Amino acid sequence: MIMPLIKGLQITISHMFKKPVTLQYPTERPDVKPGFRGLHALNVSHDKAKCVACYLCPTVCPAKCITVEAGEDQNHDKYAAKYEIDMLRCIFCGYCVEACPVDAIRMTEQFELANYSRADFTYTKDRLLEKK
Amino acid sequence: MVNLTIDGKQVAVEKDATIYDAAKACGIKIPILCHDKKLHPFGGCRMCLVEVEQMKGRLIPACTTPVTEGMIVQTTTDEIVKARKLVLELLLLKHPIDCPVCDAAGDCDLQNLTYEYKVNMNRFVDEKFNHEIDYENPLIERDMNRCIHCGKCARICDEIVSYGAYTFINRGIEAKMGTEFDGPLNCEFCGSCVSVCPVGALNSRPFKFKARWWALQKTKSVCSYCGTGCQLTLGSKDGKVLTTIYDENQGFHNGQLCTRGRFGYQFVNSDKRLTAPLVRKNGKLQEATWEEALAEVTSRLSAGKSDPASVAALATPRLTNEELFLFEKLFRGTVGTDNIDHSAGYAHEALTKGAVASFGVAASPAEIADVQKSNLLLVVKSDAYETHPVIGFEINLGVKRKGIALRIVSDKKGKLTRLPGAKTTVHAPGNEVALFNALCKSVIDQGLAAEGVAGLDALKAAVADASAEKAGVTAEEVAAIAKEFASAEKALIILPIGQGYPGHNAALANAAANLAILTGQYGKEGAGLLIMGEKNNSQGAVDMGIYPKGTGLNAAAIIDGCANGNVKTLFVAGENPVVSYPNRKKVEKALENVEFMVVSDLFLTETAAMADVVLPACSFAEKSGTFTSLGRRVQNVRKAIPAIGLAKSDFEILNALSQALGGARYNNQGEVFTEIAASVPAYKGLTQAGLKDEGAVYPVTLSAKLVPAAAKAAVQAPGKLALVTGSALYHCGTMSRFGEGPMYVCPDAYAELNVADAAALKIAEGDQVTVTSGTGAVKVAAKVGKRVPQGVVFSPYHFGEGSVNTITDGSEVTYVTVAKQ
Repeated sequence: MIMPLIKGLQITISHMFKKPVTLQYPTERPDVKPGFRGLHALNVSHDKAKCVACYLCPTVCPAKCITVEAGEDQNHDKYAAKYEIDMLRCIFCGYCVEACPVDAIRMTEQFELANYSRADFTYTKDRLLEKK
Repeated sequence: MVNLTIDGKQVAVEKDATIYDAAKACGIKIPILCHDKKLHPFGGCRMCLVEVEQMKGRLIPACTTPVTEGMIVQTTTDEIVKARKLVLELLLLKHPIDCPVCDAAGDCDLQNLTYEYKVNMNRFVDEKFNHEIDYENPLIERDMNRCIHCGKCARICDEIVSYGAYTFINRGIEAKMGTEFDGPLNCEFCGSCVSVCPVGALNSRPFKFKARWWALQKTKSVCSYCGTGCQLTLGSKDGKVLTTIYDENQGFHNGQLCTRGRFGYQFVNSDKRLTAPLVRKNGKLQEATWEEALAEVTSRLSAGKSDPASVAALATPRLTNEELFLFEKLFRGTVGTDNIDHSAGYAHEALTKGAVASFGVAASPAEIADVQKSNLLLVVKSDAYETHPVIGFEINLGVKRKGIALRIVSDKKGKLTRLPGAKTTVHAPGNEVALFNALCKSVIDQGLAAEGVAGLDALKAAVADASAEKAGVTAEEVAAIAKEFASAEKALIILPIGQGYPGHNAALANAAANLAILTGQYGKEGAGLLIMGEKNNSQGAVDMGIYPKGTGLNAAAIIDGCANGNVKTLFVAGENPVVSYPNRKKVEKALENVEFMVVSDLFLTETAAMADVVLPACSFAEKSGTFTSLGRRVQNVRKAIPAIGLAKSDFEILNALSQALGGARYNNQGEVFTEIAASVPAYKGLTQAGLKDEGAVYPVTLSAKLVPAAAKAAVQAPGKLALVTGSALYHCGTMSRFGEGPMYVCPDAYAELNVADAAALKIAEGDQVTVTSGTGAVKVAAKVGKRVPQGVVFSPYHFGEGSVNTITDGSEVTYVTVAKQ
């Protein structure tokens, strides 16, 4: 009766002196591989978002999670006055990146997307802009 | 018929068809960039090259080559595809690849063909154009870098609009589509050029960057401005109407629109729209619930049932047939009052009294299709173009393509007078009836009158003393028009009516009808009298009986009744009497005096601001139903977007009131149409589903009779100018003020003077002037030109600020003095 208990404890205690097999998240960080599709970022060039608001990403998005509204800047050029991604709907397929004709959007290595309220999952243009 | 073979298919077509037409007829698509079915063949783009067995050795353009008997045509061979690819490569050499930011993407012929022909590389290299882009124009943005030189804009502007704003300038690689001295665009802003542009060289600026073409929900509907009844396609997204989409297969006009139709849609989603009912509390209009607002209206109307004469109702002919029918049923039936009217009363009399007396029907004997089938058009007032621009395009086409003779009798010149071969007889203002009487007399004197016409003797006696001089024109002019009109195979009189034209009343309709009947020019194709109602459903309002039929008060009498206290409750559905009825002060006083006034409207108009209860109504884009256009065509209006805010359609409002007052209740507007079809004789047998996209013209049975029309004696007003009112090209009624497009190009009230008068009064273009009549005075901007003759001032009536009805009193002509401030 007591023997299985001792045997079990033996395994437990032996593991206390071995190297852990799992990744010690969050103290240890995973090594994110190339091609990983995490949170989106809007690319910047010349201090401006590269996005020209062509609406191809909301058109191709299968989850319908991207909202774009175009605006006209002082030079009469088109820019995204509003660019929002509803991360609760996003399925991280990466079609938006594929569709983009001007390399304005990419997917970063950031995977920690937990949040406390629904509103926090709406990523506005400000939050998506590439941070330098 | 000519027989030919295209891609192995046998086809028989008319002998004036081209290979392109023949291919289209048998369902074979030949790619085109510069061809448009409305325009003359151009043969510029070389996309439509085909191979003809009998003309081997070279490729033949399908759009310019007429068919011949026994022709054998191949539309897609390797050689043809290679040639087409080359054409696309050469076009893409200069065309910027900015599809992501170009609004035409998705609806771009060049983009579609590039995709279809898989042109993904270019053998040639060259620099792109670097033309300056016109961002200044508020309606049409011109980016000539994207232009592919198809010439459609220049051709449509010349052939159909007859304006000629564009032309090719320079030669060779330098060639570009330019404007007058390559300056800014200064035209009618109808946007026809934008509609036909196969690429994004011409764009609608109000729609710029608003949405991509493929994201728009497209709803086929009918324009809600003038009575022409142009069909249009509304492009909407997220509950907003964002643009009108060109569809060359829509309506008699082939998708052609005027500036109001194309650029005047913004009123639908205007910030100024009413979104909640308002009820007057402590002297101020305050937001209220629908229950509260409707309860108040119901209690007033049910109190009015015991004294129906104290209740009056005015409706706008912008409502659908279903709403107007319900309106009539509610007030004439349930409440029991005959005090119902529309369009200030006088603006529909040409139909309800004039046409009824002369032809026995309250509708035009002619329809729109007759314009192009005629041999001679006699247009009353050059303003016919301004009131109904798309009918104006039909006249342009008829005159320029079919050689129809155009005669205009008008108190001023206008665009129509510049058409080739057009002859204009400018008469003294207010003398239309006298002129038509003189024409009738001339017909009789020249022995051209048809025999055995009912009422001929009475007419002979009535016009015995009519003369050209009395109308202020020469006897030769009158004799010539009379002769031409009588001897033409088919002659049509075009008569615009509306609130801007108090003189276009029953008498004028009778006088014009007399000429048509006297010469036998009626009851056949291409002949008769086309009375052009002002608003989108003017004809429907007449058909639904929105006018006093018995002893009831007409609009003018209702206003008087409000002033003297006989009318205690006034229901106004969409009308804006303060701005559009004559004598603004009198109207304002009357409406202040009336005990209880309820207004249902889209906006807090000048009239709504005086009401006790204001009900927010829906625009045409938010409801379904039918409109009847001026050619008696009943057409489907379809809902494109949900109602704005808490607004309800007039159908819902009237239905709720009708039910609360113990009247009829309908489940939906379709049920009302079924009842209309059962109870209005002209609409017998019609169903909304049966109207389909093209609508249906209801038939009329004419019983023509000559009805003498008394001409008013000429007024002598020495030292004064004759003020005539009317419609500006960019506006219709008072609603177009809420559309951004029309307001960009015509924002303020103006008075148009002749150069000689202006010089004498030391007035320059743009000066602020005071126009004073016996009724009042108004300050407006001056416009100086040669369009109006000396001694005449013209002013449009649409505007709230400086509204011309401050100085008019409902007579044909108002005599005024004009002074610089």
